[in-house]
Amino acid sequence: MYGEHPGGMDCTQFEALLSEALDGALSQPLLAGFRAHAAACADCGPLLAGAQAGMSWLKSLAEVEPPRNLVLNILIATSGAGAAASLRQASPTSSWRDRLRQWTRPLAPAFSAVLQPRFALSLGMAFFSITVLLNAAGLHLSSLRAADLRPSAIQENLTRAYNETTARALKYYENIRLVYEIESRVREFRNATREEDQQEQRKKELEKPRDRKYRDDNTSGNPDRKQDRYSRQNEPVVLAGTWLDDSVYTIPEGRAA
Amino acid sequence: MEDTQAVAALVERCLGGDAAAWEEIVRLYHRRIYNVSYRFAGTAEDAEDLTQEVFIKMYRTLKSYDVSKGALVTWVTTVARNLLVDNFRRRKHDRMTDSLESAPAGHQDALTLGEQLPDLGPSPDAGVHTQQTQRAVHQALQKLSPELREAVILRDLQELEYREIAQVLRVPEGTVKSRINRGRAELARHLSRTYRQVS
Ligand SMILES: [Zn+2]
Repeated sequence: MYGEHPGGMDCTQFEALLSEALDGALSQPLLAGFRAHAAACADCGPLLAGAQAGMSWLKSLAEVEPPRNLVLNILIATSGAGAAASLRQASPTSSWRDRLRQWTRPLAPAFSAVLQPRFALSLGMAFFSITVLLNAAGLHLSSLRAADLRPSAIQENLTRAYNETTARALKYYENIRLVYEIESRVREFRNATREEDQQEQRKKELEKPRDRKYRDDNTSGNPDRKQDRYSRQNEPVVLAGTWLDDSVYTIPEGRAA
Repeated sequence: MEDTQAVAALVERCLGGDAAAWEEIVRLYHRRIYNVSYRFAGTAEDAEDLTQEVFIKMYRTLKSYDVSKGALVTWVTTVARNLLVDNFRRRKHDRMTDSLESAPAGHQDALTLGEQLPDLGPSPDAGVHTQQTQRAVHQALQKLSPELREAVILRDLQELEYREIAQVLRVPEGTVKSRINRGRAELARHLSRTYRQVS
């Protein structure tokens, strides 16, 4: 077939035009020659049919949805001076997995789960890890709202608590990295609770206008703690799921008691 | 397609330490990178790891991006493609050195780990009705050599121009077109075989 030139073109010219022909970008005279060649050539005819079929199969592939936490995980993996510094320090030949393994090696098992390659943290896990950490640092969840949640204060507390246990095993940048992780979890948690607080506050103001005087007189800077806790007793108990589970189990009031 | 000035400003802000600008870049491109990775590497798990790796690489090398040399999307795709190919070679090497994992002779070349293991989790492909077809096409794609696979992914899934693909792959446009033609035809051949077996 290479000796003949059906459609006024050889097979090489035909193949060079193939992708543009499938794009619909060939001019009329070229297209006529192209078609004539395909009809007459035993090699190019099947090539055209195959390429056309393959293209439509490929175009039928839908875009896949990335995992929900992907953006957050990327930001965690790339943000903070610590992460950047550690990445710059890491040897250029070591893979991302190897570097992660190095970070997680000196950490307790609980933190290994937090720092796995895909940082697959559900909100439940985040909640649990904060609780564990704050308890370890001598803070209890019931006083979380009263605690000073300024990032600098958290960083100070956690860095101190963390240093006490692992100071010799860890380098400075790993420390900053963990703190950054915790900070972002606390930020998420705080945003969630702030919204809830505002809603409760609004509800209480609507329901009990006569309490306002008492509240206004309270200048401790720490108002409504008792009422807050009392109202929490009426809510169903919510437990965070396991490390690997997204689910949060809600136990009805009757059974929890 | 890309607003060059806006992107240049975004990169500038990012290099100046603006975290919001970096977040915007991540949001702009994560979907594209994830999809390229998924179609090239074959599994959602690898795609997620690779996407993270791409952004870490971008984060470290954003300084080297030159607005005058092309769109950010081309640069981002190039970073992704290079990492995907590196990863593919690493895996291929691992497979060859791993005596426990001896694939049947003749077609081990383009097989990925994901293909050798039964996929028990739900496929990320959308649409229940077309799920089987989607899977068949995706699996056929994994059977192409990496050169053909990347070419058709960039053209038919990412809809890049030939000129841009040539830039990403660092080969002439003619080579790009030839790989796309061969990739499409080979994919169709694999699928016709699959469907002949089914029917
Ligand atoms: Zn021909």
